Amino acid sequence: MKKVISYTALFVLGFCFLMPFIIMILGSLKEVEYAQLDPLFWIPDDPTLKNYKYILNDGLFLRWIWNSVVITVIPVFSQMLFCAILGYIFAKKQFIGREFIFWVFMGVIMIPQQLLIIPKYIMFSDFGWINTYWALIVPEIWGIMGVFLVRQFLQGIPNDLEEAAYIDGANDLQVFVKIILPLSVPVVATVGTFSFISNWNDLFQPLIYLTQETMFPVTLGLASILGKEGNFGIEMAGSAVSFIPTFLIFMFFQRFFTEGIQMSGLK
Amino acid sequence: MITLSNTLTSKKEKLPLFVRLKKEWKKNSIVYIVLIPILIHFVIFQVYPFLLSFYLTFMDWKVIGDAEFVGLKHWKYLFSDTLAWKAIWNTVKFSIYYIVPTMALGLILALIINSGVRGAKFFKGIFFLPVVTSFVIIAGIWGWLFRGTEEGMINYIIGFVGIEPQLFLSDSSQALAVLAGLSVFKVAGSTMIYYFAGLQSIDRQLYEAARIDGASPFKIFWNVTFPLLKPIHFYVAITTTIGSFQIFDSAYLLTGGGPNYATTTIVYYLYTQGFTSLNLSYAAVLSYVLFFIILIISLIQRRYLGKESNHY
Repeated sequence: MKKVISYTALFVLGFCFLMPFIIMILGSLKEVEYAQLDPLFWIPDDPTLKNYKYILNDGLFLRWIWNSVVITVIPVFSQMLFCAILGYIFAKKQFIGREFIFWVFMGVIMIPQQLLIIPKYIMFSDFGWINTYWALIVPEIWGIMGVFLVRQFLQGIPNDLEEAAYIDGANDLQVFVKIILPLSVPVVATVGTFSFISNWNDLFQPLIYLTQETMFPVTLGLASILGKEGNFGIEMAGSAVSFIPTFLIFMFFQRFFTEGIQMSGLK
Repeated sequence: MITLSNTLTSKKEKLPLFVRLKKEWKKNSIVYIVLIPILIHFVIFQVYPFLLSFYLTFMDWKVIGDAEFVGLKHWKYLFSDTLAWKAIWNTVKFSIYYIVPTMALGLILALIINSGVRGAKFFKGIFFLPVVTSFVIIAGIWGWLFRGTEEGMINYIIGFVGIEPQLFLSDSSQALAVLAGLSVFKVAGSTMIYYFAGLQSIDRQLYEAARIDGASPFKIFWNVTFPLLKPIHFYVAITTTIGSFQIFDSAYLLTGGGPNYATTTIVYYLYTQGFTSLNLSYAAVLSYVLFFIILIISLIQRRYLGKESNHY
């Protein structure tokens, strides 16, 4: 009896959660005006790849994807590098002001992004960073949350290996590269996946810093065609293409997402 | 006192300053090489904007020309600005629609996943998928699902049980709830992860004991599982509350703050004030309102969690 309830709930909820994604895929294979949509338009008959051909031939859409790649890939790699090394420094090195700096970091993490965006808009206007990648890349090259995660992780690891390496005459850099980094692969992967999701999906910051259509990331680009009269299939095809990287990352790194969420909860 | 501390430090300072600095550099060079640029970056992109924003609230910032000092003008205006209060109230209402359903759905998903069904991992992935999907994608589909015409999917479904077609996003009394529904769908998967971890940490012997005592599954859940998840309830409640006060994307994408300002949340109002009306100073005031609300919630969390950890 309990099993029956469990399985029924599992399949009903699973279907509900998948439904929007199924509609996205099936809808993208249809050529249909938004105004003429009927509730069951997505049921496949006569599927077509026209919408995909259209967006892939449309230079602007590919440009949006490229912009998203630029403003995502660079922060992902620099976050992994900097958060790894900073996490190591805060977990394992003794230096003046360590606790104080970390305490300030933990305080600043409470400041909402929306507060910083107004002064940053003024600053970036002065820097000439409006409508450039800089505004979205430079502030994101490292992150407090990532440092926190790596530090948390490394504090749970005994110092034996490092001490042995120091006795063998290794320096800090060698210890970091040869011992700490291999040990921190899972947590660094978590930092990378989090960074990927937050940058790839970000709408608010691009909306503020970018006004030129050619500089838009794919989120903002899709937002600009959302719900407009026209072919709904094109919107869905655009959504589906922009979803592919997210989906692949999710497939391969799901473990790091869930572990990261749990770790960040164990403050 | 002063002489005492002086003698204490002078005792330490046996080595000349230069030698000590050299020693420290040798010991911690990696720290300084990495940390100094990062701290400069931190000051430029986090500390300075935070202070600049506060300074801005006392100025009249202009697109062209110098800012002018206006004192408390913008702060005073906040108290007479009915739209700002409406935005705050809308955000509170959004939280009410959003927090409990997200927690309940997350808990239900975690309970199902944890009940020993097959394919739990696969379904866990499905439930988590919306968390990593962008608001833009989900809003595109959501907007179509909740179209306020007879052709809308949800209207089509509720039509089978005899409910009249609803306006949804075009109805000022429903729009906010539809947006909250989108957020519930998007965030429940991450709530599930917390609850799942919580459920796994509960000692199975407790269930056994309750079962031997003849408790029904429902009673076991209500009297054993639910109270034991208290720290998770609290943590999830705090994070979803903080998240709900920052809601913006769905209002921007689906309703543009309307109809009749019914979905103008704090951040959406801040955005229109700052970046449509270019009243950046007043937007800074609103962002400080948001900051104070989040600060209070975070402080409650820290205080409570501090107490919790003292118990063990």
